[in-house]
Amino acid sequence: MALNGIQIFKLTPKKNCKECGCPTCMAFSMKVAQGAMDISACPHMSEEALASLSEATAPPMKTIKIGAGSEEFTLGGETVLYRHEKTFVSKTRYAVALCTDMDDAAVDAKLAEIPKVDYERISERMYTELVYVNCGEGADAAKYTDLVKKAAGLGRTLVLGCSDPEIAKAALEVCKDSKPVLNGANAANYEAMNAVATAAGVVLGVSGKDLNELYDTVAALEKLGNKNLVLDVTGADIKETFANAVLVRRAALKDQDRTFGYPSIVNTVKVAMGDKHMQAALAALFTMKYGSIVVLEQMTYAEALPLYGLRQNVYTDPQKPMKVEPGIYPINGGAEDSLALVTVDFALTYFVVSGELERSGVPLNLCICDAGGLSVLTSWAAGKFSGGSIAKFIQEEVEPKISCRKLVIPGKVAVLKGDIEAKLPGWEVIVGPREAVQLVKFLKDMQA
Amino acid sequence: MPFNQKPQKFNAKINTVTIGSGDKTVTLGGGSTFPFYTFDAPAENAPKVGVEISDMGLEGASEGIKAYYEGASTMADIAKKAAAMEGADFVALLLEGGDPNGADKPVDELIAIVKEVADAIDCPLVVEGCKNVEKDAELLPKVAEVLQGRNVLIMSEKEENYKAIGAAAGLAYDQIVGAESAVDINLAKQLNVITTQLGVKPQKIVMNVGSACVGYGYEYVVSTMDRIKGAALSQNDNMLQMPIITPVASETWGVKEASASEADMPEWGPQDERGIDMEIMTAAADLVSGSDAVILRHPQSVATISKMIKALV
Amino acid sequence: MLINRIFSGNDAVFGLTEQAVDGAVKEHGADKAVGFPHTAYCLPCYYAVTGVKVKTLGELKEALGVVKSLMTREHALDDALMSGVATALCAEFIEALKYIDGVQPYEEPCYGHLADSIIREMGVPLVTGDIPGVAVILGSAPTAKEGVELIKSYQAQGILVTLVGGIIDQAQELGLKMGYNVRIVPLGKDVTSVIHVVSVALRAALIFGNVTPGDAASLIAYTSERVPAFVNAFKPIDDVVLAAGAGAIKLGFPVISNETENIVEVPGALIACPDVAEFNKVSLEARNIKIKITKIDIPVAFASAFEGEIIRRPDMQVEFDGSRVDCAELVQTKALEEVEDHKIEVIGPEVDTFEVGSKHSLAYVVEVAGKKMQPDFEPVIERKFHNYINCIEGVYHTGQRDMLRIRISKEAFGAGFRARHIGEVLYAQVKNEFEAVVDKCQVKIYTDPAACTRIRHEVAVPAFEKRDARLETLTDESVDVYYSCILCQAFSPSHVCVVTPERLGLCGAVSWLDAKATNELDPAGPCQVITKERPIDENIGAYEDVDEAVQKYSQGALEHVTLYSIMQDPMTSCGCFECICGIEPFSNGVVIANREYAGMTPLGMTFPEMASMTGGGVQTPGFMGHGKHFIASKKFMKAEGGIERIVWMPKELKDTVAERLNRTAKEVYGIDNFTDMIGDETVATDPETLVAFLTEHNHPALSMDPMM
Repeated sequence: MALNGIQIFKLTPKKNCKECGCPTCMAFSMKVAQGAMDISACPHMSEEALASLSEATAPPMKTIKIGAGSEEFTLGGETVLYRHEKTFVSKTRYAVALCTDMDDAAVDAKLAEIPKVDYERISERMYTELVYVNCGEGADAAKYTDLVKKAAGLGRTLVLGCSDPEIAKAALEVCKDSKPVLNGANAANYEAMNAVATAAGVVLGVSGKDLNELYDTVAALEKLGNKNLVLDVTGADIKETFANAVLVRRAALKDQDRTFGYPSIVNTVKVAMGDKHMQAALAALFTMKYGSIVVLEQMTYAEALPLYGLRQNVYTDPQKPMKVEPGIYPINGGAEDSLALVTVDFALTYFVVSGELERSGVPLNLCICDAGGLSVLTSWAAGKFSGGSIAKFIQEEVEPKISCRKLVIPGKVAVLKGDIEAKLPGWEVIVGPREAVQLVKFLKDMQA
Repeated sequence: MPFNQKPQKFNAKINTVTIGSGDKTVTLGGGSTFPFYTFDAPAENAPKVGVEISDMGLEGASEGIKAYYEGASTMADIAKKAAAMEGADFVALLLEGGDPNGADKPVDELIAIVKEVADAIDCPLVVEGCKNVEKDAELLPKVAEVLQGRNVLIMSEKEENYKAIGAAAGLAYDQIVGAESAVDINLAKQLNVITTQLGVKPQKIVMNVGSACVGYGYEYVVSTMDRIKGAALSQNDNMLQMPIITPVASETWGVKEASASEADMPEWGPQDERGIDMEIMTAAADLVSGSDAVILRHPQSVATISKMIKALV
Repeated sequence: MLINRIFSGNDAVFGLTEQAVDGAVKEHGADKAVGFPHTAYCLPCYYAVTGVKVKTLGELKEALGVVKSLMTREHALDDALMSGVATALCAEFIEALKYIDGVQPYEEPCYGHLADSIIREMGVPLVTGDIPGVAVILGSAPTAKEGVELIKSYQAQGILVTLVGGIIDQAQELGLKMGYNVRIVPLGKDVTSVIHVVSVALRAALIFGNVTPGDAASLIAYTSERVPAFVNAFKPIDDVVLAAGAGAIKLGFPVISNETENIVEVPGALIACPDVAEFNKVSLEARNIKIKITKIDIPVAFASAFEGEIIRRPDMQVEFDGSRVDCAELVQTKALEEVEDHKIEVIGPEVDTFEVGSKHSLAYVVEVAGKKMQPDFEPVIERKFHNYINCIEGVYHTGQRDMLRIRISKEAFGAGFRARHIGEVLYAQVKNEFEAVVDKCQVKIYTDPAACTRIRHEVAVPAFEKRDARLETLTDESVDVYYSCILCQAFSPSHVCVVTPERLGLCGAVSWLDAKATNELDPAGPCQVITKERPIDENIGAYEDVDEAVQKYSQGALEHVTLYSIMQDPMTSCGCFECICGIEPFSNGVVIANREYAGMTPLGMTFPEMASMTGGGVQTPGFMGHGKHFIASKKFMKAEGGIERIVWMPKELKDTVAERLNRTAKEVYGIDNFTDMIGDETVATDPETLVAFLTEHNHPALSMDPMM
């Protein structure tokens, strides 16, 4: 059971020295309880206090870092099985697979394809973060290293799928500085693989023929002092893979079994080779259920658009709604003299409203006001979407750029009409519909 | 020391609801684990996949869907092809043309289509309303009436019109009621409570707890379903133990990522592929969150999702 | 006497039935088929009551024996009512005999037996309330005109009217258009044809109520609760009609009659009403039928789109201003007989007589009555007036109670809007939105200045004072139940507010009275009753009942919640809290920050930082979200010593709550001007300075028991 802030506070020196960066020991304790700060940030903790706190505040699932520089990613560190219980913290990362079995043309095509998907969605860069480089049967060190080199040229973080310690060692020589994952330890080779991974300073991926073997291998590696691991839970088929992914995560979080408290790798290529649609289905499935790294054969826009949208949704903090940037969004070729509509910066509102506006075909300007990322009624109730805040936004941001002086406000805040009119001389304020789905008809009627 | 696997056992289960009549029926629900957790207890009834067709025919359908239905000139032809789709368990007829803000087809015209479709196929049938609560309150009781004896699922029963649709489908004409709420566990429960208070038996209710396309507020769908399944199983809340059906296609095919043409968005690639993956990924996420049935349009999506379900149970 | 008359009527009908059945058996033989067309429920009434299907004359003969067994002759009301049921079954048998050999015994305009399909079709509007009731009119009205007027009054309300006997001739005589499509169904001219509407009610119970045939108790429960039928029987009422009426009463259908001779009223069941013109009103009230208002009768539009409209002085026809002259708005609970539904009275001149741009007095009193109405709901209804009146196109309302202001625009006035229409709007909205508690509603609108003065000072102000006094005395101890509120679960899944009289919802918007009203108006809604019968520790506010409720409504996420402690199982927060209090260890007290406060607190945390660890339905000992109003409550962290623990608040918040907080401090601890001892951002935003300030002002928290 994690400690609460008050319990942690009791163990602090209560000096309010601010050396941890917090104004008070109380604030620091609350942050530690939340998992936002590490207890070691306090320089004045007694040894005993530190020891007892580290144990009690240690997370049930380790946070593992892979990659380097701007391509560094955090895996794991989850504390809940369901996002509504708190929040999921480390996004699923997707890897496109290359293999020594592929011919050069296929490899080149893949390498050319990967960078094509790179776009932004609600302030998040969407691209293939990882490349999985598989060492097929019969490939030698030269061939594999060659492929790893090629893949490394993309500048993405690599996952090396290789269970031969010698080949792995050679491959790591050319890429270890970018902190790839070495996925290849198993019951038979773990000692040697451990030596290779530790020497290169990279995360080691572990697999087993079943969960028992995986469990024992992890325990053995931990005994060797390596806790920088990820678990490849891919099984013989889809069903077994799903069971493994769920059971490993559930054991760690629900049953506090720390041996399974590591991030996971799910390789859909192994269980659905050549079937891109099945891989797409599985990528979604394992984004929902506990895949930390999911490997696919391809990531074109067809896969990326839904998959990154899903991931963005699932990994939002339930208490912090997603926001879009305030500003003017011209729709259907909205020009300076096109009608202006105002709404809030809650991402869901934005998507739904802009979708309907696009459907209407009417050129217009959607003005997104800073409303704390809340929905129309919630932000209105919280005073963040008021006559004053709308008028100020329109005056400062919209008036200089838009010549039309008609403003449509959401029907749910019809009550603001008079207030906005009073604060925005020269503007005609029109009450729009209460629901976005009525916008198309509303605009049609308005034009008629 | 081997891994100590602790199964998660519940003393509660999801209701079973059978749709359809005669030899061809499907049964939803019955499970007592989280979706696909076959390691906790064997699966009861695998989730089902429905094929959605619309009273508007193939208007606005993607190229791939049109290609599948090629040669089908009447609603009866379309229905037959839908029923024959690989992986299809049932057909869902969406009466979107009834929307007063859209084509605003009169009730009689829609009823004729319902009859035509029902007569053309013998597989289980689901009928979805037009989204307008007043029109649905008028339309769906008539649908329930003309389909007497077919044991169809009449969707789109909402808090605003539950009396008309619940009484007609659940009481007068002995069909199954699809109770639709907007991604909130309490609203879902409240609708089940008032529907049963009308006299509709809980075993005749299937829930549509709200759907969204991935990327579009989908987190609410996940959490609503996670919480409903949790309450149904661990709290034995019998007002949340109805199976869940999720119309996926009507959400996914409308978003820009699936509907923009390749001419408009050349870098995005073929529209059909985007639409298929949008549908597949949303359906996969719905199923693993708790949907006992999903409704899809594209033959590729139906085949893949059906295959995925078979692989998981 | 009444009972004997019923027995005698029943005996007479039974005799006739026996004769008819025997005659039919003789004529056709015992194997002859008998039954009504287009029904799957062979002899529906008999089947519904006994669970036995009758298909031949021989079986009918046997059934008659069963009917006889119902005809007990103890001199008790229930025996009489059962005899009524027996009479109804006899009527069904007689009617069934008419259909032998597939003849159609009824001809235009009479319907006779109604098919199953009509019941299925009619069932839906009955359930939705589109058909709010079913009237059974029996006999001949004193005059044809009165009879037809009565029929039309029901028709206008959407009520389905069935006719039996002489009234059918009367309706034809005046050329009334009849038929199922216009909701007027003549059944037949013999009194036995009344069974065809009983048959509808009983089949509805089988089809819509899932009642098992033969389960008479459930059958009667269903017809009583779910079939909104009633009987209007014209005099003379003979023994046979009376016996049939007893059957109706047994099914829960009241009988209203203008007969006054040889009859004893049975409250709620057999009602004498000499004036036929009153039948409609009396019947609806007796059957508790409420007519939905679909259109508000005013000359301008009514929609939420007009809510934000402001009427400026040059556009204004007339103004009522409570800050200058006497005005008031009030809801008053009255007894049912004191209220005439939909009566709108204007006392004083209409606005036509006012000069353009002038200022006047206005008082409106909405008098409501209802079986479930409670005076506690008055302020809840009253608070909606602002919204109702603002939704009128061209009318603008601000303020409340006796400080209201209303403006009517020139445009609305030009369209014909008058003071009376305010009454129409209030009537319609109150009836529609508060349907669950308001059965009848009338509105009095005073424009006469003297009357306004009187209403304000003699009626409204005393009523407000009484209400405020009730709120003051409303304590957690003085009530039997608390309420849950889970309105916020959409974004804070495991949060449950426990609302008590002294602790309103942490959003500040849901008081105990609001929660109570919400529960009454929407029984399956977000506010549910929480009992408090099993206390664990009343000092910290721990109850087994409360724990069970939070477990249930949080779907198991929460196990224990105390009402008065911030250290032990404090109440969770959704995120809507107006304020957060948090423990400040150096001063041994708590710091409160309100949402509007953007600065730093002596905790070293800002409001958003505190909110991030308090919201989302998690329990964070030492921190708690709450409403502003709660700060001055005697229950505010009572377990830790109460408001004496408050050591710091933003100045603005302190000023807002000062008066009430100081009063509580004086009353409970005898401290004068307590807020002067409490720090704010002008004195300290760090613990050291705060402690120095508190020491200087001798704040009581410093010497209290340690909080942790």
